[in-house]
Amino acid sequence: MTPTLAIKFAMRDWRAGELRLLIAALLVAVGSVSAITLFVDRLQRAIEEESTSFLGADRVIGGSREIPDRFREVAREQGLAVADIITFNSMVYADASGSDRNQLASVKAVSPGYPLRGVVRTAQEPFARGEPTAAVPELGEVWMDSRLFPGLGVEVGDRVAVGYAEFAVAAVVTGEPDRGGSFMDFAPRLLMRVEDIPATQVVQPGSRIGYRLMVAGEDAGLRTLFDAIRDDLAPNYRWTSIREANASIGRAIDRAESFLLLGGLLAVLLAGIAVALAANRYARRHFDHVGVLKTLGATPGEIQWGYLGVLLVIGIVGTLLGLALGGVVHLGIIAALGDLLPPTLPLPGTRPLVVGSITGFICLLAFALPPLLGLRKISPMRVIRRDLGTGVAPIVTYSFAAIGSLALLIWHSGSVVLTVAALLGAVVTGGTFAVLALILLRGGRVIGMQAGSTWRLALAGLQRRYRENVAQIVIFGFAIMLLLVMLLVRTALVEDWQAEIPKNTPNHFLMNVVPSEVEAVQNLLTERTAYDGALFPMIRGRISAVNDTSAREWRRRVGPRPGPGIRSERNLTFSADLPDNNVVVAGEWWSADGPREAAASLEDEYASGIGVSVGDTLTFDIAGLPLTVPVTNLRSVEWDSLQPNFFIIFSPGTLDDYPATFMTSFHLTRDEKPFLNELLSAHPTVTLIEVDEVIRQVRNIIDRVTQTVELVLYLVLGAGVLVLIASIGSSRDQRLREHALLRALGGTRPLIQGALVTEFAILGVFAGIVAVIGAEITVFTLNREIFELPTSLHFWLWLAGPAIGMAMIATVGYLGTRKLVSSPPATVLREV
Amino acid sequence: MPTSILRANGLIKRVPTAEGELTILGGIDLDVDAGGQVAVVGESGSGKTTLLGILAGLDLPTVGDVWLDGAEITALGEEQRARVRARSVGFVFQTFQLIDSLTALENVMLPLELRGDRQAKEDAREFLDRVGLAARTTHYPRQLSGGEQQRVAIARAFASGPKVLFADEPTGNLDTHTGARIADLIFDLNREAGTTLVLVTHDAALATRCGRTVTLDAGRVVTDGEP
Repeated sequence: MTPTLAIKFAMRDWRAGELRLLIAALLVAVGSVSAITLFVDRLQRAIEEESTSFLGADRVIGGSREIPDRFREVAREQGLAVADIITFNSMVYADASGSDRNQLASVKAVSPGYPLRGVVRTAQEPFARGEPTAAVPELGEVWMDSRLFPGLGVEVGDRVAVGYAEFAVAAVVTGEPDRGGSFMDFAPRLLMRVEDIPATQVVQPGSRIGYRLMVAGEDAGLRTLFDAIRDDLAPNYRWTSIREANASIGRAIDRAESFLLLGGLLAVLLAGIAVALAANRYARRHFDHVGVLKTLGATPGEIQWGYLGVLLVIGIVGTLLGLALGGVVHLGIIAALGDLLPPTLPLPGTRPLVVGSITGFICLLAFALPPLLGLRKISPMRVIRRDLGTGVAPIVTYSFAAIGSLALLIWHSGSVVLTVAALLGAVVTGGTFAVLALILLRGGRVIGMQAGSTWRLALAGLQRRYRENVAQIVIFGFAIMLLLVMLLVRTALVEDWQAEIPKNTPNHFLMNVVPSEVEAVQNLLTERTAYDGALFPMIRGRISAVNDTSAREWRRRVGPRPGPGIRSERNLTFSADLPDNNVVVAGEWWSADGPREAAASLEDEYASGIGVSVGDTLTFDIAGLPLTVPVTNLRSVEWDSLQPNFFIIFSPGTLDDYPATFMTSFHLTRDEKPFLNELLSAHPTVTLIEVDEVIRQVRNIIDRVTQTVELVLYLVLGAGVLVLIASIGSSRDQRLREHALLRALGGTRPLIQGALVTEFAILGVFAGIVAVIGAEITVFTLNREIFELPTSLHFWLWLAGPAIGMAMIATVGYLGTRKLVSSPPATVLREV
Repeated sequence: MPTSILRANGLIKRVPTAEGELTILGGIDLDVDAGGQVAVVGESGSGKTTLLGILAGLDLPTVGDVWLDGAEITALGEEQRARVRARSVGFVFQTFQLIDSLTALENVMLPLELRGDRQAKEDAREFLDRVGLAARTTHYPRQLSGGEQQRVAIARAFASGPKVLFADEPTGNLDTHTGARIADLIFDLNREAGTTLVLVTHDAALATRCGRTVTLDAGRVVTDGEP
């Protein structure tokens, strides 16, 4: 058979409507994959941009020593954007403005270009929302945090001094992308230019200075930079990306990626099943054609190449249309999400198109080729005896489908182990489904004997073709199960993300409240906000000796190590219970109700930094008074938890005799923020820490990730419905022939229609039941092994699953057979 | 002297069934001269259709050999047998066997297209004209009556210029009047083209129109001669 003839055949088949379902299935396979990859590709770039704005850059190299020029040079050679940041704490004086106040500020000196990702917000009034700006302070100017203004008693336009230099206060800085959630940055911000630092003479040998080099640009350039400087990083510099900088965002992105991957895979597999069903039906309808062609002298070779030609035409047409569909769908999604998305999404690469096309052809080869290859074996005797020849052996079909699914899964997931596990799971699930379906069908028959004629007819139909029906329940069951899995996992993920930052999480912290002010502060907070908490003690102190060796001598013995020094002053607290987000990694936490003995708990990295472990004895100097306690345990701490965290915690009672200041946390909405001006004016010595901006940023990212996840759910739903349509289509002919016979024998149209719909509805209920069982097991495994989420049974699902199955399959079945049931039986008998 | 165009020697066909092996043809010898007309008659289940399938190279015997147009088709593979069919054989079936997604014209064009005939469309049109369906070329099988469908099938069978035409109950699905007209058409075209005709039928009247009748019973030839 010549290629022209194959194209001619394909066109004739298309005209006759024989190819519609096959092309539609392929269209959805390619369309959903390319829409998902296109959208995810662009959204991932957007999420990454948003997340990196949290860091202020794509990567940050930080350390306590000056950044070598070489790092900067390599970065520039790679076409990366760079900006410098130098941070230190310094007193800020307001005498130049006629005020006698001073405040400790966390000074951040930046170079032009800062920040490389995200924006700085400035305002002309303290505690205002502020507007984004692309600028940095001019030389000789500073921008200050809102709380410095009441603290210093100055306004925008006044002058302040940092070290030996004087600066004009040009603006209020209300937001920085890289402010971070760390409680290390206690002091309010003062933003100035790197070039102004020498004039202040603040930076001297021995000063505690933080140096950071921000870099941003293409991934390849960033990788090259990392490779080039990797050996020079340790021990003085740290290379940070968003995943390390904020673990909760990193986790959300990781899980979302796993979910999107899973969703994409399911869409492909569902569409693959649809392609297989459609191809099977096409092949079955061509058994007679092939018989005729063979009697007319077509050789098996010609039949094979002819249908391969048809397949190629379908592949090309379906893939091109699928890519177009994918493009349109992804544009539709972007339009639908509207202003939830960044105004300018980065353009996609060519990868989504390649992925879509290759997926389409693998789908065709694995799912559609075997039934069509089987056509060459059809006996020409079929023209005389119709029962002869049913094409290819099922084992061949299944093998092709399994190999194709394996290839697709490995390619998309990049993991052989995960893929093999998933496929094994699918085979076991399929087998279990089949057994369950058989039991359900048998049971249904017994009940049906007592039922009315429509029911009896439907159940008899189900029982008569029990092999086909078991297969169909398994397929429906799989489709519904995959949809339920996506729904449940999505719900668990979103709930977990929302739980990371519950509404009304404290977003402001107040520290250094002296005992005489406690009552006044508490009253003010209670009157003006929804505050109902309490202030608890916090004590400043430093380590003076370890195991009777002075701290200075101890440090000399231990040698230089990264992290805060042993002699720096720390915030100390006491607690009966282990704080949330803390895990004991060595020793034991003191029992809450046992005898109270003096003991200390240290954060483990801090402990290793100062060379102390469980069993050592520490002597503290607290406001001139000594306190000696044993270290009884070490804790790991989640520093980005947005909760107050402490390096050192004492057992309750240990600090009772020492002078304490107090701290508390509270929630403020954006509208309530001006209240802070009043609070800080009345109590200028308290320290305020605002984390509302940080929380808002984290929420924003998580919301966006949630939207993507939901979107993928809808696409998988589309693919699932297509499988239902294809599956019903593939059994439609046989059902209709039987029912047309019944009509010819006098069965009324409502009886036939009722029996068909009932049959589909029962199939749907059975499929729903097996789907729920499969979904519960799968979700349990997924949540445990991949998403690391807690999981439990979903009781509502046991009602919803069968109901959804019944509604979906009865509807699709009704719509698919309505027209033919209405046409005269003779037409139906002749056509199918 | 007439030469043999179709010859079968010692054809035995056995098929496995649930109750054991079933013998459908029990040793059949047959010789058909070129241009001859042979009717194969017999009760239902006597093996007529199986014999037709084997003679035409659609099926293989368990034992025995068949020579068609000079080729021993029982010794050929499926690929070569198909080529012999394309070159030498035409079929008319009881159930017409038109491809329902193709128009009448396209159905007739099929064997010509398979042969790579560039004139396929013109030739097919001419044959449809000869069976009286020039006005129905763009109709699909389901839009045609049974008689019309069989006429399309006849046009298709003769379009490829076969040396042997196998007809399996060609009037079996038609009413008496239409059946008679279809039979006329087959015999007329057969005479014009000088084609050899092997006709399987129940219809005694139809069988008598052939010069020779072979009667089968339980897979064996019981009579062979003039009707």
